[in-house]
Amino acid sequence: MPAIEMDAPCMECNEANAILNTRNRSFCGPCYQRFLAYKVWRRMDHYRPRPQKNVKPTKPAQPQLLLPLSLGVSSSVLLHILDTGLKRQLAKSGRTSYAIHILVVEPSTELPMSVSYDTHVDAVREAFPTYSVTRIPLHRVFEYVPDMTDIMAEYAGPQFTDDASQSNEERLAAFRSVVSTATSKSDLDTVLFTRLIVGYAKQAGCESILWGDTDTSLAAKTLAGAAKGRGASLTWQVSDGMSPWGIKFDFPCRDISKPELSQYESVCPEISAVVIPDAPLSDNILTKNLSIDELMLRYVTTQGEKYPGVMANVSRTAHKLETTSGSPSALCSLCGGMIENVKGNETGLTVASQFAGKGSQFCYGCMRSRPEIIS
Amino acid sequence: MTDPTSGSVAPIPITVEFTGGLEILFSNERKHKITVPGRLDDGSQPNISYLLRYLVDNLMKDQRKELFIMEDNVRPGILVLINDADWELEGEEAYELQPGDNIVFVSTLHGG
Amino acid sequence: MPPSTCYNCKAARAVIIRPKNRHKLCRECFIQIFELEVHETITSANLFFRGERIAIGASGGKDSTVLAAVLKTLNERYDYGLDLSLLSIDEGIRGYRDDSLETVKRNAVQYEMPLEIVGYGELYGWTMDQVVEQVGKKGNCTYCGVFRRQALDRGAARLGINHVVTGHNADDVAETVMMNLLRGDLPRLSRGTSIVTESGASDIKRSKPLKYAYEKEIVLYAHHRQLDYFSTECIYSPEAFRGSARTLIKDLEKIRPSSILDIVKSGEDMAALVPSQVRGAGKSCKSSAPADDEAAGGCGSQNGRTSGGEMAAMENQLAANDTAESRETEIRIPRKGLEAKKIKTQTLQYCEQCGYISSQRICKACTLLDGLNRNRPKAAIEISLEDEEGSSTLARQMERTQLTNS
Repeated sequence: MPAIEMDAPCMECNEANAILNTRNRSFCGPCYQRFLAYKVWRRMDHYRPRPQKNVKPTKPAQPQLLLPLSLGVSSSVLLHILDTGLKRQLAKSGRTSYAIHILVVEPSTELPMSVSYDTHVDAVREAFPTYSVTRIPLHRVFEYVPDMTDIMAEYAGPQFTDDASQSNEERLAAFRSVVSTATSKSDLDTVLFTRLIVGYAKQAGCESILWGDTDTSLAAKTLAGAAKGRGASLTWQVSDGMSPWGIKFDFPCRDISKPELSQYESVCPEISAVVIPDAPLSDNILTKNLSIDELMLRYVTTQGEKYPGVMANVSRTAHKLETTSGSPSALCSLCGGMIENVKGNETGLTVASQFAGKGSQFCYGCMRSRPEIIS
Repeated sequence: MTDPTSGSVAPIPITVEFTGGLEILFSNERKHKITVPGRLDDGSQPNISYLLRYLVDNLMKDQRKELFIMEDNVRPGILVLINDADWELEGEEAYELQPGDNIVFVSTLHGG
Repeated sequence: MPPSTCYNCKAARAVIIRPKNRHKLCRECFIQIFELEVHETITSANLFFRGERIAIGASGGKDSTVLAAVLKTLNERYDYGLDLSLLSIDEGIRGYRDDSLETVKRNAVQYEMPLEIVGYGELYGWTMDQVVEQVGKKGNCTYCGVFRRQALDRGAARLGINHVVTGHNADDVAETVMMNLLRGDLPRLSRGTSIVTESGASDIKRSKPLKYAYEKEIVLYAHHRQLDYFSTECIYSPEAFRGSARTLIKDLEKIRPSSILDIVKSGEDMAALVPSQVRGAGKSCKSSAPADDEAAGGCGSQNGRTSGGEMAAMENQLAANDTAESRETEIRIPRKGLEAKKIKTQTLQYCEQCGYISSQRICKACTLLDGLNRNRPKAAIEISLEDEEGSSTLARQMERTQLTNS
């Protein structure tokens, strides 16, 4: 999606010069922002209270929504779009249909030293002064997942001994270090992040979590989830609806691609100090050293340049699958996925058939990511 | 490991086989008997990494190197057997060649 | 590196490291366990009944050769009481299929199985050599694929056999899962992983006993049992195996060797989550799904594999949909439920000309044949996604952008 150089009027307002181009249309900056913002607002429309006939309008409790902010492009742009929408609502009707809380989770380990979270979090507070901004490190997961000690012992096996006298930060680092492959590390980290965010959101009384995923990252998550044996969990991992923890997941940017959000950011100076730029995809990493998550993100990103429609379609396909919620299967104590097979998949591979002799409070995907114990 | 003062080291004769459709990249011959130096210029012993470069430079007639090599290694989908054992059991590309070794490359990518 | 000993017998030298669980096995234990697992697949799915006559779709390639060898072994070891035959298709491609048919003929002797060969020439009046002479090399795979779909059924019918087994392996199934996610094909997602597919038109059941077998292990099994198989690329589609989804699968295997079965597991779960109204006619109805993506024993691009060009075709179709949709949203005010779930359903009927199951009045094979017979290279019909008109350049571009290229 190259920027347009010649003077062409914006197809929307016909006044300003068009400077951005997407989906065969060219826009000026503000119209481009509005074009994408509509797609997000439309997704948020169901939070608007609907007056019912014959019922005296009572003042419904305003939905409290949690927006986990990674300080990357997607979640930052999502925040800006929602903020713009809420301001419009306020100006129009004097009230807003929902309230947002911002949560910044710091990856307590493996952060490049050059990045100062302080600066960026300060920038968030400055750019969005009307919202509560909470910042917590990943190792606070111990507070939100009460059975963490059991999970760690079972997951890591005999090669790991938890030392409860250590700080939570040290305990988490020790646990993560027994997971050896890039794929398993990334898989485990994603699960821990999710658990922490969910735990926080529930404690904060939020009814839903607004994830910043674009159709690009959702396509990558769909393919990676399938490749990691987590196909059954896609019905909530990349789809709007109820998660296993009784809190809803929403993906308001699901109709927008990552390059489109990046273009939005390029004409949005308000968040320039907020966003920590993505590390560029390195060419020097051998495929076999990538994690499955990274491989799929690369695949979707490179293929998406040529086949954006195909990539956008991936998460839409997963979104059409029926939900597994309400299924009788016990849920994985770590990731919340189903331990048993989906109803209707009676003859397929199972946790029991593939991981014989190992007890399981874990689902197939988590069993696969556990450190291998082979003589 | 080897004493650098011991003079020249005997060259290593080995057999290399290409099957599963890889033959076509190597003049349609399945079996090749080759000899690699006992020691390389940098003093190291030739290993599978060296052999791959050697094969591409000397034995491969087809121009489409990428059908055999990717990222300086064997293309995913091609199996390597060192004396009939999966090369993963032998240290993969770091395996040092021994006289009389039989190295087999099998493609899993071709249809029937 | 000291030689490893076998995880199973703890005695012999290990020569295999298994993708699914990283167990190191010696040659004998590997062969035993590989066969045992296929046996377990067969028994747990109740694939066969005693006395059943089975046609093995045989191309002379690794998958179908291993399938024939394993089925013969298991039939004797566990006394299945099956009557096994080999069924091959002769597309009529000189210098390609005639060599692999020689392999099948040797297999027939080695495994003491009768062999039936059905030729495109006798079935359709056109060999692939003749088709290519008329339509050229571009797009000929469409003809070959469409013809093959029916040929196996017709060959089995000729033998009076109701059950054809094919050599589809776990890698093929995994690739199908990924492709169906990429092309958003829910009906195929719902049936692509099932071990048995039945086709209502001919009462011929298809199954894939090797669906849980890694391609890597199939090749190693053939190697360690020194099976006689033939591998080549079709001369009319020399780079068919360079499909993008296949490359992705092989990259995944490199990163995490188990991932192929993990995809199959995901595919099986997702299949059960496809809404029932999308699944085609539904499971109870015997004529549910035509086995049209089940063409076995062909070239790489047909054996559950895809060519790079398919992505380009998908993109064109989706882009057209998307343009139409964004035109709509230009006019309409966004409202709830706008993105009503678009659901593809299939209605099946019988071809008016040949009686084969078809989603159209006239089946694709007959339509293509009409075109050929009228001396027109390509009839004006929709060949959906397989039509590669003009996509070969794009296919090549795709290959260049693949991840493995550094």
